[in-house]
Amino acid sequence: MSRKYRIVLAGNPNCGKTTIFNCLTGARQHVGNYPGVTVESKTGEFMLGEDEIELIDIPGVYSLSSSSPEEGVAFEELTRPGIDLIMNVIDSSIPQRSLYLSTQLAELHIPMLIVFNMSDEAKKKGLKFDIPKLQSYFGCSIVQTVGSRGDGVDKLKSALAESLLHLEDHDVPKLTYGADVDDAIREIVQWIEPAMTERVRHIPARFFAIKLLEKDTCVMRLPEFQGLDAIIDAQIAHLYARHAIKAETFMADCRYAMISGACRDSISFTQERRREISDKIDAVVTNQWVGLPLFFAVMYLMFWFTFTCAAPMTDGIGALFGWIQSGIESCWPETAMPLFRRLLIEGVIHGVGGVVMFLPNILFLFLAIAFLEDTGYMARAAFVMDGIMRKFDLQGKSFVPLVLGFGCNVPAIMATRSIESERDRRTTILILPLMSCGARLPVYALLIPAFFAVKYQAFMMFLLYAIGVVFAMAAARLLKSTLFKGDGEVYLMELPPYRVPTVKSILLHMWDRGVMYLKKAGTIILGVSVLLFIANNFPEKEKTGISYGTQIEAVKNDASLTPEQQTAKVKDINRRRAEAAEYTVSGRVGKFLEPAFKPIGFDWRSTTAAIGALAAKEIFVSQLGILFAEGEDAADASGDKQESLRMQLRRAYTPLQGFCMMLFCLLSIPCLATLAIIRRELNSWKWMFLEAIGLFALAYVTTLIVYRTGLLLKIGTNYLL
Amino acid sequence: MSDNKTPAAKGRASACSIPDSAECTLAELPVGGSAVIVSMKPGLRGKKKFADVGLVPGTMLQMEAHAPFGGLLRIRVMDSSLSIHRDDAANIVVRRELP
Repeated sequence: MSRKYRIVLAGNPNCGKTTIFNCLTGARQHVGNYPGVTVESKTGEFMLGEDEIELIDIPGVYSLSSSSPEEGVAFEELTRPGIDLIMNVIDSSIPQRSLYLSTQLAELHIPMLIVFNMSDEAKKKGLKFDIPKLQSYFGCSIVQTVGSRGDGVDKLKSALAESLLHLEDHDVPKLTYGADVDDAIREIVQWIEPAMTERVRHIPARFFAIKLLEKDTCVMRLPEFQGLDAIIDAQIAHLYARHAIKAETFMADCRYAMISGACRDSISFTQERRREISDKIDAVVTNQWVGLPLFFAVMYLMFWFTFTCAAPMTDGIGALFGWIQSGIESCWPETAMPLFRRLLIEGVIHGVGGVVMFLPNILFLFLAIAFLEDTGYMARAAFVMDGIMRKFDLQGKSFVPLVLGFGCNVPAIMATRSIESERDRRTTILILPLMSCGARLPVYALLIPAFFAVKYQAFMMFLLYAIGVVFAMAAARLLKSTLFKGDGEVYLMELPPYRVPTVKSILLHMWDRGVMYLKKAGTIILGVSVLLFIANNFPEKEKTGISYGTQIEAVKNDASLTPEQQTAKVKDINRRRAEAAEYTVSGRVGKFLEPAFKPIGFDWRSTTAAIGALAAKEIFVSQLGILFAEGEDAADASGDKQESLRMQLRRAYTPLQGFCMMLFCLLSIPCLATLAIIRRELNSWKWMFLEAIGLFALAYVTTLIVYRTGLLLKIGTNYLL
Repeated sequence: MSDNKTPAAKGRASACSIPDSAECTLAELPVGGSAVIVSMKPGLRGKKKFADVGLVPGTMLQMEAHAPFGGLLRIRVMDSSLSIHRDDAANIVVRRELP
């Protein structure tokens, strides 16, 4: 007979829950070596023999209380009715700390299965477990696994099947806290038992009584337990006055005492613990003097890797698209279905191809980020950067999301959930769009080589990222001293040991990101490119059928004309080309908005590109690609696609204008996906709109100042070599 | 200027390096030093949070590192590394252990 079971995976942050989740369900959820990678619960399914198992991966927590949003999520999942079993994953290399949560899960009195994960590390440390003894302590099966290698997963499955047979007669023990506290607990239970509704009745009243004595905010907030404050306070006062017991931390004391008792009996060290390599590395990495310079070196390396190492591949993809285009051009005559031919060449190849070209950069950037995440360096970076972050009224925990923001703002904003302080979290979310994300990279990668000589290129790239960071820090300072004023929360962050990342995990992360980027190119960017192509070409002023570029070529090749006549004709065609462009939807919209954008150095074409960039930043590149594809000379088309576009851009804009475009792209309204996630995470439409307006104003004013100053001082008005 | 400073600095140094089993706050524990938690001062915020990660009276800990620019301390508790803020550490009373 097949049945359906609901199982929750619970455990400390960074104990490998998600790895176990991936092992069991075959999913590919992101894992990393720092606390708080999983910020929302995720569900997966797998078959165990005949039975269907629904597995829920929840954010890691140290205890069943709740101070950060992710702990709230965990608490809610664990107290929801209908859970058949809790699979408690622990990092068995630090058993004492990890088993603390187990003692609290036991209080829920739901059948349990404990997974001693990372048992390879425990073994290396010389820890030896008396598993049968531990099993009798916690009244459940214990399985040893190495999630990263998939060791012990089969044993885990069979133990799970076994545990599911004994759901009704499990022996998860009820812990006692000594006669005095137990009296107080019983007293409170009497009061709350009648108040228990259907929603919470599957959990023993005792659990809630303990939580209320601990003054747990999440439980105190439950509607069932309102109006009991006086009774609880009386019990707490009584315990303190009579027995000098501070109820708030007494239970934690008791649990740790119980664990150390259990551990003394059942865990032994087979060898003198050697000082781990991890500590040796950390003596340097988190050193008071060396730590920061080292961090900056790591960041520099990350960007060097992203740009320099990806360059040959980017060129390769560019050449590939150039080759495809010349293939299409040679076998598809211009007179046959000219519109579709142009849609294919201008809209798809120039629009989407221009974006796909930067796939290698994206892959390398995420490879670098995944490496930093999986080794455990991210948590160190937060540690050494905390001091500097505090100068800007932020803190170390804001730091990891900000670095992730260089990859993509969307997951970075989600990662802010590990920040306990609501004020810091809000500030971090609001400044995150200023971190120059991977989608802005194609814009720089296209424009910088177009306007700046090789020797300035690296500096310009650095400058743009730095401007983003500086503005973000200044904005944080401003927000924290005005809207989000107040004391910070308690800071507590675990630094996991360094781990050698598995090649598979890093490549998978990179692969997933790459697929995501290509999907985006194939959906949003393709769709918007086609729309933009239409907007850029319709309504038509005159029916030509043949592109202006071809017409010019024809004139040039016409031997019957004198050079003067040729020049005049070309001039005329170019005039008609410009008129036709301005006659289109894009031209009209751009022309309409041009007065507003002209002061910051934009013409109607870059204005329409900036509008398109609202859907996704890469659209800026696509739109320029589509707009300037039409103006392409036959001579350029044969060569490198990207270079010919850059030539066009160089002719149309000054380096100062080019820089202003990038600056505007960097600072202006983020893409729609980012805005949507900001709305969700701050749970407010108002904040989302304020953010969009604020960033637009910031971008506009900054670009205005830069452009005007540049014009005044004549900086960047000519191409520099 | 430096002459004025030296005696004061010396005074503070000797005040903290007196008998090795003396009580001091966690914030004063030098890098490399070991200690046992004695008590939490009433001013400590987030008492429960610290208790949850094992910072309860009787727990052994070591000071592993100080972060650049002051703010954070890194301590080893129950075989895991935690970073906490100096201001909070100043509210945790510890007894230094002999090396």
